[in-house]
Amino acid sequence: MSSSATMKLAQSETRLFLRDPIALFFGLVFPSVLLLALGYFFPGFGDEPAADLGGLRYIDTYTPIAIGLGLATLGLVTLPPILGTYRQFGILRRLRTTPVHPARLLWALMALHIVVAVLALIAAMTVSIVAFDVVFPENFVAFVLVFLLSAASIFSVGLLVGAIARTTSSGAAIGMSIYFPFLFLGGVWIPRQVMPDGLRFVSDLTPLGAAVGAMDDAWFSGTVDVAHLLVMAVYVVVVGLLAIRVFRWE
Amino acid sequence: MAVIEVENLIKNYGGTNVVDGISFGVEAGEIFGIVGPNGAGKTTTVESVSGLRVPDGGSISVLGLDPQRDHYEVAQRVGVQLQESRLQDKIRVHEALELYASFYDTPADWGSLLDRLGLEGKANAGYSSLSGGQKQRLAIALALIGTPEIAILDELTTGLDPQARRDVWGTIEQIRDSGVTVVLVTHFMEEAERLCDRIMVVDQGRVLALDTPSGLIKRIGAGQVIRFRPSAEVADSELSALPGVEGVLRKGEMVEIAGTDDAVHAVTSFLAQRQIIAHELRIEQNSLEDAYLALTKEGK
Repeated sequence: MSSSATMKLAQSETRLFLRDPIALFFGLVFPSVLLLALGYFFPGFGDEPAADLGGLRYIDTYTPIAIGLGLATLGLVTLPPILGTYRQFGILRRLRTTPVHPARLLWALMALHIVVAVLALIAAMTVSIVAFDVVFPENFVAFVLVFLLSAASIFSVGLLVGAIARTTSSGAAIGMSIYFPFLFLGGVWIPRQVMPDGLRFVSDLTPLGAAVGAMDDAWFSGTVDVAHLLVMAVYVVVVGLLAIRVFRWE
Repeated sequence: MAVIEVENLIKNYGGTNVVDGISFGVEAGEIFGIVGPNGAGKTTTVESVSGLRVPDGGSISVLGLDPQRDHYEVAQRVGVQLQESRLQDKIRVHEALELYASFYDTPADWGSLLDRLGLEGKANAGYSSLSGGQKQRLAIALALIGTPEIAILDELTTGLDPQARRDVWGTIEQIRDSGVTVVLVTHFMEEAERLCDRIMVVDQGRVLALDTPSGLIKRIGAGQVIRFRPSAEVADSELSALPGVEGVLRKGEMVEIAGTDDAVHAVTSFLAQRQIIAHELRIEQNSLEDAYLALTKEGK
Protein backbone atom coordinates (compact mmCIF):
# COMPACT_ATOMS: atom_id res chain seq x y z
CA MET A 1 0.00 0.00 0.00
CA SER A 2 2.65 2.50 1.12
CA SER A 3 3.66 4.34 -2.05
CA SER A 4 0.18 4.04 -3.56
CA ALA A 5 -1.31 5.62 -0.43
CA THR A 6 1.02 8.62 -0.74
CA MET A 7 0.17 8.94 -4.44
CA LYS A 8 -3.53 8.73 -3.65
CA LEU A 9 -3.15 11.41 -0.98
CA ALA A 10 -1.31 13.69 -3.40
CA GLN A 11 -3.94 13.03 -6.06
CA SER A 12 -6.74 13.78 -3.62
CA GLU A 13 -5.11 17.01 -2.41
CA THR A 14 -4.52 18.10 -6.02
CA ARG A 15 -8.18 17.56 -6.90
CA LEU A 16 -9.32 19.51 -3.84
CA PHE A 17 -6.90 22.34 -4.70
CA LEU A 18 -8.23 22.48 -8.26
CA ARG A 19 -11.78 22.71 -6.92
CA ASP A 20 -10.94 25.83 -4.91
CA PRO A 21 -11.09 28.73 -7.37
CA ILE A 22 -9.65 31.24 -4.91
CA ALA A 23 -6.60 29.11 -4.12
CA LEU A 24 -6.20 28.41 -7.80
CA PHE A 25 -6.24 32.11 -8.72
CA PHE A 26 -4.00 33.36 -5.94
CA GLY A 27 -1.65 30.39 -5.95
CA LEU A 28 -1.23 29.89 -9.66
CA VAL A 29 -1.92 33.01 -11.72
CA PHE A 30 -1.75 35.95 -9.32
CA PRO A 31 1.97 36.71 -9.92
CA SER A 32 1.42 36.77 -13.70
CA VAL A 33 -1.71 38.91 -13.40
CA LEU A 34 0.16 41.32 -11.15
CA LEU A 35 3.01 41.64 -13.67
CA LEU A 36 0.56 42.19 -16.54
CA ALA A 37 -1.34 44.81 -14.56
CA LEU A 38 1.84 46.63 -13.53
CA GLY A 39 3.40 46.47 -16.99
CA TYR A 40 0.36 47.59 -18.92
CA PHE A 41 -1.41 49.96 -16.57
CA PHE A 42 1.32 51.64 -14.54
CA PRO A 43 2.91 54.47 -16.49
CA GLY A 44 6.63 54.10 -16.98
CA PHE A 45 6.87 50.55 -15.61
CA GLY A 46 8.02 48.94 -18.81
CA ASP A 47 9.87 51.86 -20.41
CA GLU A 48 13.08 53.46 -19.29
CA PRO A 49 15.73 52.03 -16.99
CA ALA A 50 15.50 53.79 -13.64
CA ALA A 51 18.62 55.17 -12.02
CA ASP A 52 17.50 54.27 -8.49
CA LEU A 53 17.07 50.61 -9.55
CA GLY A 54 20.67 50.38 -10.73
CA GLY A 55 19.79 50.64 -14.40
CA LEU A 56 16.91 48.15 -14.35
CA ARG A 57 13.36 48.96 -15.39
CA TYR A 58 10.58 48.72 -12.81
CA ILE A 59 9.12 45.69 -14.60
CA ASP A 60 12.51 43.95 -14.30
CA THR A 61 12.70 44.60 -10.57
CA TYR A 62 9.11 43.54 -10.06
CA THR A 63 9.57 40.16 -11.74
CA PRO A 64 11.39 38.52 -8.78
CA ILE A 65 9.13 40.48 -6.42
CA ALA A 66 6.00 39.02 -8.06
CA ILE A 67 7.54 35.54 -7.99
CA GLY A 68 8.34 35.95 -4.29
CA LEU A 69 4.83 37.24 -3.65
CA GLY A 70 3.49 34.09 -5.31
CA LEU A 71 5.54 31.95 -2.91
CA ALA A 72 4.33 33.92 0.10
CA THR A 73 0.71 33.62 -1.07
CA LEU A 74 0.97 29.85 -1.37
CA GLY A 75 2.90 29.42 1.86
CA LEU A 76 1.06 31.86 4.11
CA VAL A 77 -2.40 32.33 2.59
CA THR A 78 -3.21 28.94 1.05
CA LEU A 79 -1.39 26.39 3.20
CA PRO A 80 -2.17 27.37 6.84
CA PRO A 81 -6.00 27.40 6.52
CA ILE A 82 -5.88 23.96 4.87
CA LEU A 83 -3.95 22.59 7.86
CA GLY A 84 -6.26 24.43 10.28
CA THR A 85 -9.26 22.88 8.54
CA TYR A 86 -7.79 19.39 8.62
CA ARG A 87 -7.17 19.74 12.34
CA GLN A 88 -10.58 21.32 13.03
CA PHE A 89 -12.44 18.63 11.04
CA GLY A 90 -10.51 15.82 12.75
CA ILE A 91 -9.12 14.68 9.39
CA LEU A 92 -5.58 14.35 10.77
CA ARG A 93 -6.92 12.55 13.86
CA ARG A 94 -8.96 10.21 11.67
CA LEU A 95 -5.86 9.38 9.60
CA ARG A 96 -4.03 8.40 12.77
CA THR A 97 -6.44 5.47 13.17
CA THR A 98 -5.45 4.11 9.74
CA PRO A 99 -2.21 2.35 8.81
CA VAL A 100 -1.08 5.57 7.08
CA HIS A 101 0.57 8.20 9.27
CA PRO A 102 -0.92 11.68 8.72
CA ALA A 103 2.62 13.01 8.07
CA ARG A 104 2.14 11.55 4.60
CA LEU A 105 -0.72 13.99 4.09
CA LEU A 106 1.60 16.86 5.06
CA TRP A 107 4.24 15.76 2.58
CA ALA A 108 1.58 15.39 -0.11
CA LEU A 109 0.38 18.93 0.63
CA MET A 110 3.91 20.36 0.61
CA ALA A 111 4.72 18.60 -2.67
CA LEU A 112 1.51 19.96 -4.19
CA HIS A 113 2.38 23.49 -3.10
CA ILE A 114 5.86 23.23 -4.55
CA VAL A 115 4.49 21.98 -7.88
CA VAL A 116 1.97 24.84 -7.97
CA ALA A 117 4.77 27.28 -7.09
CA VAL A 118 6.87 26.03 -10.01
CA LEU A 119 3.91 26.36 -12.39
CA ALA A 120 3.26 29.89 -11.13
CA LEU A 121 6.97 30.64 -11.65
CA ILE A 122 6.88 29.38 -15.24
CA ALA A 123 3.78 31.49 -15.94
CA ALA A 124 5.29 34.63 -14.41
CA MET A 125 8.64 34.16 -16.20
CA THR A 126 6.85 33.68 -19.50
CA VAL A 127 4.80 36.84 -19.02
CA SER A 128 7.87 38.92 -18.14
CA ILE A 129 10.08 37.61 -20.89
CA VAL A 130 7.47 37.47 -23.67
CA ALA A 131 5.33 40.51 -22.89
CA PHE A 132 7.92 42.86 -21.40
CA ASP A 133 11.26 41.75 -22.89
CA VAL A 134 12.75 40.99 -19.50
CA VAL A 135 16.10 39.24 -20.03
CA PHE A 136 16.37 35.49 -19.48
CA PRO A 137 18.01 34.82 -16.05
CA GLU A 138 21.78 35.38 -16.29
CA ASN A 139 22.47 32.31 -14.16
CA PHE A 140 19.48 30.07 -14.70
CA VAL A 141 20.69 27.12 -12.59
CA ALA A 142 21.50 29.38 -9.66
CA PHE A 143 18.13 31.06 -10.09
CA VAL A 144 16.23 27.76 -9.97
CA LEU A 145 18.15 26.59 -6.90
CA VAL A 146 17.55 29.93 -5.18
CA PHE A 147 13.86 29.67 -6.05
CA LEU A 148 13.58 26.21 -4.50
CA LEU A 149 15.39 27.32 -1.34
CA SER A 150 13.10 30.36 -1.21
CA ALA A 151 10.04 28.12 -1.48
CA ALA A 152 11.37 25.85 1.28
CA SER A 153 12.07 28.75 3.66
CA ILE A 154 8.72 30.49 3.11
CA PHE A 155 6.74 27.25 3.28
CA SER A 156 8.52 26.41 6.54
CA VAL A 157 6.99 29.53 8.07
CA GLY A 158 3.58 28.55 6.66
CA LEU A 159 4.00 25.03 8.02
CA LEU A 160 4.73 26.44 11.47
CA VAL A 161 1.52 28.50 11.32
CA GLY A 162 -0.38 25.45 10.10
CA ALA A 163 1.23 23.33 12.81
CA ILE A 164 -0.51 25.23 15.58
CA ALA A 165 -3.67 26.69 13.96
CA ARG A 166 -6.71 25.01 15.53
CA THR A 167 -9.21 26.07 12.89
CA THR A 168 -9.55 27.26 9.30
CA SER A 169 -10.05 30.83 10.40
CA SER A 170 -7.18 30.92 12.89
CA GLY A 171 -4.91 29.50 10.18
CA ALA A 172 -6.05 32.23 7.81
CA ALA A 173 -5.75 34.99 10.43
CA ILE A 174 -2.25 34.08 11.64
CA GLY A 175 -1.10 33.50 8.05
CA MET A 176 -2.39 36.91 6.93
CA SER A 177 -0.81 38.71 9.87
CA ILE A 178 2.57 37.44 8.70
CA TYR A 179 1.83 37.70 4.97
CA PHE A 180 1.46 41.48 4.78
CA PRO A 181 4.59 42.42 6.77
CA PHE A 182 6.49 39.86 4.68
CA LEU A 183 5.20 41.44 1.45
CA PHE A 184 6.21 44.87 2.66
CA LEU A 185 9.70 43.69 3.61
CA GLY A 186 9.91 41.68 0.37
CA GLY A 187 9.64 44.97 -1.52
CA VAL A 188 6.11 44.72 -2.94
CA TRP A 189 5.39 48.38 -2.11
CA ILE A 190 8.95 49.74 -1.99
CA PRO A 191 11.47 47.65 -3.97
CA ARG A 192 14.45 46.60 -1.87
CA GLN A 193 16.80 48.66 -4.11
CA VAL A 194 15.16 51.91 -2.95
CA MET A 195 14.63 50.90 0.69
CA PRO A 196 16.56 52.89 3.32
CA ASP A 197 19.57 50.85 4.53
CA GLY A 198 18.01 50.08 7.93
CA LEU A 199 14.83 48.77 6.35
CA ARG A 200 16.73 46.72 3.82
CA PHE A 201 18.73 45.16 6.64
CA VAL A 202 15.48 44.03 8.29
CA SER A 203 14.26 42.84 4.88
CA ASP A 204 17.44 40.76 4.50
CA LEU A 205 16.56 38.91 7.69
CA THR A 206 13.10 37.81 6.51
CA PRO A 207 12.68 34.80 4.24
CA LEU A 208 10.82 36.77 1.57
CA GLY A 209 13.34 39.66 1.65
CA ALA A 210 16.26 37.24 1.32
CA ALA A 211 14.38 35.30 -1.38
CA VAL A 212 13.63 38.38 -3.51
CA GLY A 213 17.18 39.68 -3.03
CA ALA A 214 18.76 36.37 -4.04
CA MET A 215 16.41 35.82 -7.02
CA ASP A 216 17.09 39.38 -8.22
CA ASP A 217 20.87 38.82 -8.03
CA ALA A 218 20.80 35.45 -9.80
CA TRP A 219 18.48 36.77 -12.52
CA PHE A 220 20.08 40.08 -13.38
CA SER A 221 23.74 39.84 -12.32
CA GLY A 222 24.24 36.09 -12.24
CA THR A 223 25.68 36.27 -8.73
CA VAL A 224 24.51 34.90 -5.41
CA ASP A 225 24.94 36.57 -2.03
CA VAL A 226 25.79 33.82 0.47
CA ALA A 227 24.16 35.85 3.27
CA HIS A 228 20.77 35.50 1.57
CA LEU A 229 21.22 31.76 1.22
CA LEU A 230 22.26 31.49 4.84
CA VAL A 231 19.20 33.39 6.08
CA MET A 232 16.89 31.15 4.08
CA ALA A 233 18.69 27.97 5.17
CA VAL A 234 18.31 29.02 8.80
CA TYR A 235 14.53 29.40 8.30
CA VAL A 236 14.30 25.99 6.69
CA VAL A 237 16.23 24.28 9.47
CA VAL A 238 15.10 26.21 12.55
CA VAL A 239 11.50 27.08 11.65
CA GLY A 240 10.93 23.85 9.73
CA LEU A 241 12.16 21.69 12.61
CA LEU A 242 10.20 23.79 15.09
CA ALA A 243 7.06 23.24 12.99
CA ILE A 244 7.62 19.49 13.03
CA ARG A 245 8.23 19.57 16.80
CA VAL A 246 5.15 21.59 17.75
CA PHE A 247 2.87 20.07 15.12
CA ARG A 248 -0.46 19.06 16.64
CA TRP A 249 -2.38 16.25 15.02
CA GLU A 250 -5.57 17.33 16.80
CA MET B 1 -12.55 -15.58 22.53
CA ALA B 2 -11.78 -12.06 23.64
CA VAL B 3 -10.67 -9.78 20.79
CA ILE B 4 -10.12 -6.78 23.05
CA GLU B 5 -8.77 -7.05 26.58
CA VAL B 6 -8.33 -3.96 28.72
CA GLU B 7 -6.80 -4.27 32.18
CA ASN B 8 -6.90 -1.47 34.73
CA LEU B 9 -6.64 1.29 32.10
CA ILE B 10 -5.63 4.70 33.48
CA LYS B 11 -5.50 7.98 31.56
CA ASN B 12 -4.67 11.22 33.30
CA TYR B 13 -5.39 14.74 32.04
CA GLY B 14 -4.25 17.72 34.08
CA GLY B 15 -3.95 15.83 37.35
CA THR B 16 -7.25 13.94 37.22
CA ASN B 17 -7.76 10.40 36.03
CA VAL B 18 -10.45 10.67 33.35
CA VAL B 19 -10.08 6.92 33.00
CA ASP B 20 -9.46 5.48 36.43
CA GLY B 21 -8.86 1.75 36.32
CA ILE B 22 -11.22 0.46 33.65
CA SER B 23 -11.10 -3.26 32.82
CA PHE B 24 -13.22 -5.15 30.30
CA GLY B 25 -13.09 -7.72 27.55
CA VAL B 26 -14.88 -7.74 24.23
CA GLU B 27 -15.86 -11.11 22.76
CA ALA B 28 -15.55 -11.89 19.05
CA GLY B 29 -18.77 -11.30 17.15
CA GLU B 30 -20.64 -9.30 19.76
CA ILE B 31 -21.88 -5.71 19.83
CA PHE B 32 -20.30 -4.30 22.94
CA GLY B 33 -21.82 -1.07 24.22
CA ILE B 34 -20.14 1.60 26.32
CA VAL B 35 -22.56 4.03 27.96
CA GLY B 36 -22.17 6.75 30.52
CA PRO B 37 -22.70 10.46 31.12
CA ASN B 38 -20.67 13.12 29.27
CA GLY B 39 -17.09 13.18 30.49
CA ALA B 40 -17.32 9.64 31.89
CA GLY B 41 -14.23 8.54 29.96
CA LYS B 42 -15.99 6.58 27.20
CA THR B 43 -14.26 8.31 24.29
CA THR B 44 -10.86 8.31 26.00
CA THR B 45 -11.26 4.57 26.56
CA VAL B 46 -12.03 3.73 22.92
CA GLU B 47 -9.39 6.18 21.69
CA SER B 48 -6.84 4.35 23.83
CA VAL B 49 -8.01 1.06 22.35
CA SER B 50 -7.64 2.51 18.82
CA GLY B 51 -4.11 3.67 19.62
CA LEU B 52 -4.87 7.41 19.51
CA ARG B 53 -4.07 7.86 23.21
CA VAL B 54 -1.12 6.55 25.13
CA PRO B 55 -2.41 5.12 28.42
CA ASP B 56 -0.82 6.28 31.68
CA GLY B 57 -1.37 2.89 33.22
CA GLY B 58 -2.78 -0.57 32.64
CA SER B 59 -2.65 -2.70 29.55
CA ILE B 60 -4.59 -3.00 26.31
CA SER B 61 -4.55 -5.95 23.98
CA VAL B 62 -6.36 -5.80 20.64
CA LEU B 63 -6.39 -9.05 18.65
CA GLY B 64 -3.42 -10.02 20.78
CA LEU B 65 -1.53 -6.87 19.75
CA ASP B 66 -0.49 -3.65 21.49
CA PRO B 67 -2.23 -0.65 19.85
CA GLN B 68 0.86 1.53 20.49
CA ARG B 69 3.70 -0.83 19.61
CA ASP B 70 1.87 -2.66 16.82
CA HIS B 71 0.02 0.39 15.50
CA TYR B 72 0.26 -0.56 11.84
CA GLU B 73 -1.07 -4.08 12.32
CA VAL B 74 -3.86 -2.95 14.67
CA ALA B 75 -4.87 -0.17 12.25
CA GLN B 76 -5.08 -2.73 9.42
CA ARG B 77 -7.51 -4.86 11.42
CA VAL B 78 -9.55 -2.31 13.38
CA GLY B 79 -11.85 0.21 11.69
CA VAL B 80 -12.68 3.37 13.58
CA GLN B 81 -15.37 6.02 13.34
CA LEU B 82 -14.45 8.99 15.49
CA GLN B 83 -16.75 11.37 17.27
CA GLU B 84 -16.91 14.83 15.64
CA SER B 85 -14.75 14.00 12.70
CA ARG B 86 -15.65 14.97 9.16
CA LEU B 87 -14.23 15.12 5.66
CA GLN B 88 -13.32 17.95 3.29
CA ASP B 89 -16.43 19.68 1.91
CA LYS B 90 -15.39 19.23 -1.69
CA ILE B 91 -14.33 15.61 -1.61
CA ARG B 92 -16.70 13.21 -3.39
CA VAL B 93 -17.97 10.04 -1.75
CA HIS B 94 -16.17 7.63 -4.08
CA GLU B 95 -12.95 9.66 -3.86
CA ALA B 96 -12.92 9.39 -0.08
CA LEU B 97 -13.59 5.65 -0.26
CA GLU B 98 -10.90 5.04 -2.90
CA LEU B 99 -8.41 7.11 -0.89
CA TYR B 100 -9.05 5.22 2.35
CA ALA B 101 -9.09 1.90 0.48
CA SER B 102 -5.51 2.62 -0.65
CA PHE B 103 -4.39 2.63 3.02
CA TYR B 104 -5.21 -1.04 3.59
CA ASP B 105 -3.74 -4.38 2.50
CA THR B 106 -7.15 -5.96 1.92
CA PRO B 107 -9.60 -3.22 1.01
CA ALA B 108 -13.30 -3.90 0.59
CA ASP B 109 -15.07 -3.18 -2.68
CA TRP B 110 -16.38 0.34 -2.11
CA GLY B 111 -19.24 -0.04 -4.56
CA SER B 112 -20.87 -2.90 -2.70
CA LEU B 113 -20.11 -1.17 0.61
CA LEU B 114 -22.11 1.84 -0.58
CA ASP B 115 -25.01 -0.42 -1.53
CA ARG B 116 -24.93 -2.15 1.84
CA LEU B 117 -25.03 1.20 3.64
CA GLY B 118 -27.85 2.60 1.56
CA LEU B 119 -25.62 5.15 -0.18
CA GLU B 120 -26.04 3.75 -3.68
CA GLY B 121 -26.31 6.59 -6.17
CA LYS B 122 -24.27 8.87 -3.88
CA ALA B 123 -20.83 7.88 -5.19
CA ASN B 124 -20.41 11.17 -7.04
CA ALA B 125 -22.00 13.40 -4.41
CA GLY B 126 -19.83 15.97 -2.68
CA TYR B 127 -19.39 15.53 1.07
CA SER B 128 -21.05 18.84 1.91
CA SER B 129 -24.19 17.87 -0.01
CA LEU B 130 -24.80 14.77 2.15
CA SER B 131 -27.38 14.77 4.95
CA GLY B 132 -26.31 14.09 8.54
CA GLY B 133 -27.38 10.46 8.28
CA GLN B 134 -25.57 9.98 4.98
CA LYS B 135 -22.38 11.48 6.43
CA GLN B 136 -22.57 9.06 9.34
CA ARG B 137 -23.13 6.12 7.00
CA LEU B 138 -20.13 7.25 4.97
CA ALA B 139 -18.11 7.37 8.21
CA ILE B 140 -19.18 3.76 8.82
CA ALA B 141 -18.20 2.88 5.26
CA LEU B 142 -14.74 4.37 5.84
CA ALA B 143 -14.46 2.40 9.09
CA LEU B 144 -15.26 -0.79 7.15
CA ILE B 145 -13.25 -0.10 3.97
CA GLY B 146 -10.22 -2.02 5.24
CA THR B 147 -12.34 -5.16 5.96
CA PRO B 148 -11.66 -4.91 9.70
CA GLU B 149 -12.28 -7.61 12.29
CA ILE B 150 -13.35 -4.97 14.82
CA ALA B 151 -15.28 -1.75 14.20
CA ILE B 152 -15.19 0.97 16.86
CA LEU B 153 -18.06 3.44 16.48
CA ASP B 154 -18.13 6.51 18.74
CA GLU B 155 -21.40 8.43 19.13
CA LEU B 156 -22.53 7.44 15.71
CA THR B 157 -26.14 8.58 15.95
CA THR B 158 -25.74 11.82 17.91
CA GLY B 159 -27.48 14.63 16.02
CA LEU B 160 -29.45 12.33 13.71
CA ASP B 161 -33.22 12.41 13.37
CA PRO B 162 -35.12 9.32 14.62
CA GLN B 163 -35.54 7.79 11.16
CA ALA B 164 -31.87 8.22 10.26
CA ARG B 165 -30.94 6.77 13.65
CA ARG B 166 -33.07 3.68 13.03
CA ASP B 167 -31.47 3.25 9.59
CA VAL B 168 -28.01 3.36 11.16
CA TRP B 169 -29.08 0.77 13.76
CA GLY B 170 -30.04 -1.57 10.95
CA THR B 171 -26.61 -1.00 9.43
CA ILE B 172 -24.83 -1.84 12.70
CA GLU B 173 -26.77 -5.11 13.02
CA GLN B 174 -25.77 -5.97 9.46
CA ILE B 175 -22.11 -5.34 10.31
CA ARG B 176 -22.31 -7.68 13.27
CA ASP B 177 -24.12 -10.30 11.16
CA SER B 178 -21.24 -10.15 8.67
CA GLY B 179 -18.92 -11.30 11.47
CA VAL B 180 -17.36 -8.00 12.56
CA THR B 181 -17.10 -7.33 16.28
CA VAL B 182 -18.59 -3.91 17.09
CA VAL B 183 -17.70 -1.58 19.95
CA LEU B 184 -20.39 1.07 20.21
CA VAL B 185 -20.12 4.21 22.33
CA THR B 186 -23.48 5.85 22.82
CA HIS B 187 -25.54 7.89 25.22
CA PHE B 188 -28.88 6.72 23.85
CA MET B 189 -30.12 3.95 26.12
CA GLU B 190 -32.75 2.87 23.62
CA GLU B 191 -29.95 2.34 21.11
CA ALA B 192 -27.82 0.36 23.56
CA GLU B 193 -30.79 -1.78 24.68
CA ARG B 194 -31.81 -2.53 21.12
CA LEU B 195 -28.34 -3.27 19.68
CA CYS B 196 -25.88 -4.39 22.31
CA ASP B 197 -25.18 -7.92 23.48
CA ARG B 198 -23.38 -6.56 26.51
CA ILE B 199 -23.14 -3.08 27.96
CA MET B 200 -20.50 -1.47 30.12
CA VAL B 201 -21.77 1.46 32.20
CA VAL B 202 -18.98 3.95 32.88
CA ASP B 203 -19.00 6.99 35.14
CA GLN B 204 -16.15 9.19 36.37
CA GLY B 205 -13.60 6.93 34.73
CA ARG B 206 -14.78 3.75 36.44
CA VAL B 207 -16.88 0.77 35.43
CA LEU B 208 -20.20 0.80 37.30
CA ALA B 209 -21.57 -2.35 35.72
CA LEU B 210 -20.93 -4.72 32.81
CA ASP B 211 -23.79 -7.02 31.87
CA THR B 212 -26.37 -7.88 29.24
CA PRO B 213 -29.15 -5.29 28.83
CA SER B 214 -31.65 -7.57 30.63
CA GLY B 215 -29.07 -8.32 33.30
CA LEU B 216 -28.64 -4.60 33.97
CA ILE B 217 -32.40 -4.08 34.16
CA LYS B 218 -32.77 -6.98 36.60
CA ARG B 219 -30.30 -5.33 38.95
CA ILE B 220 -32.81 -2.63 39.79
CA GLY B 221 -35.60 -5.19 40.26
CA ALA B 222 -37.99 -6.48 37.66
CA GLY B 223 -40.34 -3.58 38.27
CA GLN B 224 -43.64 -3.06 36.47
CA VAL B 225 -45.99 -0.11 36.40
CA ILE B 226 -49.65 -0.95 35.61
CA ARG B 227 -51.68 2.07 34.56
CA PHE B 228 -55.41 2.13 33.75
CA ARG B 229 -58.74 3.95 34.13
CA PRO B 230 -61.22 1.64 35.94
CA SER B 231 -64.81 1.52 34.63
CA ALA B 232 -66.11 1.36 38.23
CA GLU B 233 -64.89 2.45 41.65
CA VAL B 234 -62.20 0.32 43.23
CA ALA B 235 -60.60 0.95 46.62
CA ASP B 236 -56.86 1.54 46.94
CA SER B 237 -56.77 -0.73 49.98
CA GLU B 238 -58.10 -3.65 47.98
CA LEU B 239 -55.49 -3.13 45.29
CA SER B 240 -52.66 -2.73 47.80
CA ALA B 241 -53.61 -6.06 49.36
CA LEU B 242 -53.02 -7.97 46.09
CA PRO B 243 -49.87 -10.11 45.87
CA GLY B 244 -46.87 -8.38 44.33
CA VAL B 245 -48.31 -4.88 44.55
CA GLU B 246 -45.89 -2.40 46.09
CA GLY B 247 -47.75 0.88 45.76
CA VAL B 248 -50.93 2.43 44.44
CA LEU B 249 -51.16 5.96 43.12
CA ARG B 250 -54.08 8.02 41.78
CA LYS B 251 -53.62 10.53 39.01
CA GLY B 252 -57.08 11.98 38.28
CA GLU B 253 -59.17 9.07 37.02
CA MET B 254 -56.07 6.97 36.38
CA VAL B 255 -54.76 4.32 38.77
CA GLU B 256 -51.04 3.57 38.80
CA ILE B 257 -49.89 0.38 40.45
CA ALA B 258 -46.23 -0.38 40.95
CA GLY B 259 -45.15 -3.92 41.67
CA THR B 260 -43.41 -7.11 40.58
CA ASP B 261 -44.24 -9.49 37.74
CA ASP B 262 -46.84 -11.18 39.98
CA ALA B 263 -48.76 -7.94 40.35
CA VAL B 264 -49.78 -7.94 36.69
CA HIS B 265 -51.58 -11.25 36.95
CA ALA B 266 -53.08 -10.40 40.38
CA VAL B 267 -54.46 -7.05 39.27
CA THR B 268 -55.92 -8.25 35.98
CA SER B 269 -57.66 -11.27 37.55
CA PHE B 270 -58.94 -9.10 40.43
CA LEU B 271 -60.46 -6.65 37.94
CA ALA B 272 -61.95 -9.49 35.85
CA GLN B 273 -63.59 -10.97 38.94
CA ARG B 274 -65.21 -7.65 39.72
CA GLN B 275 -66.15 -7.22 36.07
CA ILE B 276 -64.31 -3.92 36.03
CA ILE B 277 -62.91 -2.91 32.68
CA ALA B 278 -59.42 -1.42 32.67
CA HIS B 279 -59.59 1.34 30.07
CA GLU B 280 -56.34 2.63 28.52
CA LEU B 281 -54.45 -0.21 30.16
CA ARG B 282 -50.64 0.13 29.93
CA ILE B 283 -48.03 -2.06 31.50
CA GLU B 284 -44.56 -0.60 31.52
CA GLN B 285 -41.42 -2.45 32.43
CA ASN B 286 -38.27 -0.91 33.71
CA SER B 287 -36.11 -0.02 30.74
CA LEU B 288 -32.36 0.14 30.39
CA GLU B 289 -32.73 3.88 30.84
CA ASP B 290 -34.22 3.33 34.34
CA ALA B 291 -31.41 0.92 35.15
CA TYR B 292 -28.81 3.36 33.81
CA LEU B 293 -30.20 6.27 35.82
CA ALA B 294 -30.33 4.16 38.96
CA LEU B 295 -26.74 2.95 38.43
CA THR B 296 -25.22 6.34 37.68
CA LYS B 297 -27.08 7.94 40.59
CA GLU B 298 -25.74 5.27 42.96
CA GLY B 299 -22.25 5.96 41.71
CA LYS B 300 -22.41 9.65 42.63
